[in-house]
Amino acid sequence: MAITVNKDVKGKEYPPFAVTVERGKIKEFARAIGDCSPFYLDDAVGRASEWGDIIAPPTFAITFRDENADTGAVLKDLGVDISRILHGEQEFESYKPIRPGETYLCRSRITDVYEKTGRSGPMAFVVREMAVTDADNEIVSMVRHITVVRL
Amino acid sequence: MRYAKHYWEDLAVDAAMPPLVKPPIQQIQLTRYAGASGDFNPIHQDDAFAKAAGMGGVFAHGMLSMGFVAQSVTNWLGVGCVRRISVRFAALVRLGDVITCRGRVTAKRPPQGREDGQVDLDLWAENQKGEKVVTGRATVTLPSRG
Repeated sequence: MAITVNKDVKGKEYPPFAVTVERGKIKEFARAIGDCSPFYLDDAVGRASEWGDIIAPPTFAITFRDENADTGAVLKDLGVDISRILHGEQEFESYKPIRPGETYLCRSRITDVYEKTGRSGPMAFVVREMAVTDADNEIVSMVRHITVVRL
Repeated sequence: MRYAKHYWEDLAVDAAMPPLVKPPIQQIQLTRYAGASGDFNPIHQDDAFAKAAGMGGVFAHGMLSMGFVAQSVTNWLGVGCVRRISVRFAALVRLGDVITCRGRVTAKRPPQGREDGQVDLDLWAENQKGEKVVTGRATVTLPSRG
């Protein structure tokens, strides 16, 4: 049965949330991908590196979540069940490496909602952007995300 | 895996990235990735749920494939060099699929002042049937011989 999405959420900003990066979480993430670079996993290698510590893999900011601002919150606003979504596109722009022990501020908003009919039927595209800044209020990452809803 | 960085001068437009072939996708990897990423959508864990959702069974997180694609770049050009990476998820990755990440250099911009030189890459990942499951692009910065 066809469903509809609440397009009024376009432009909605979600409450900012803070994330403190745990050392073990970086390693767990790298291992889950099967990317065993010592620059992610070995503290001694990290200390001797140009960054002075291990850093996170390029897609690590996907772990920055908060129940008031994550996909679950967006789905609630859209009025959509999780079984209907697919990941359409994803982008990370990186300005500074993500480091263990740092606390980052994450601000997420819905920049667009549009519908299109593809090969597999009508779909809604929900475009989100999350800005990640550090304690100096400098931009660390921009994360862009397109969720596809099967209508 | 390479530890030494490449110099900007050493990469030619059209140069091919060494392919990264990942081990076959197993359910346990999807479970690990769920825990590591915080994406607990049951569609990646619970076959009955995924079938009921009309997806024909569980499939891998798109972000796991994007992690592979990012790894293929950092394996080649060094950890910490990726300024921008973007992908489109073109097809579902299923249990047992063997994903190969490929890429090539599409453009170069020389260093400017204190800014390192940049290299643009086209990236894609394909399954064992040669079907593209991810397409994407990246921009990396590389040091110059000066």
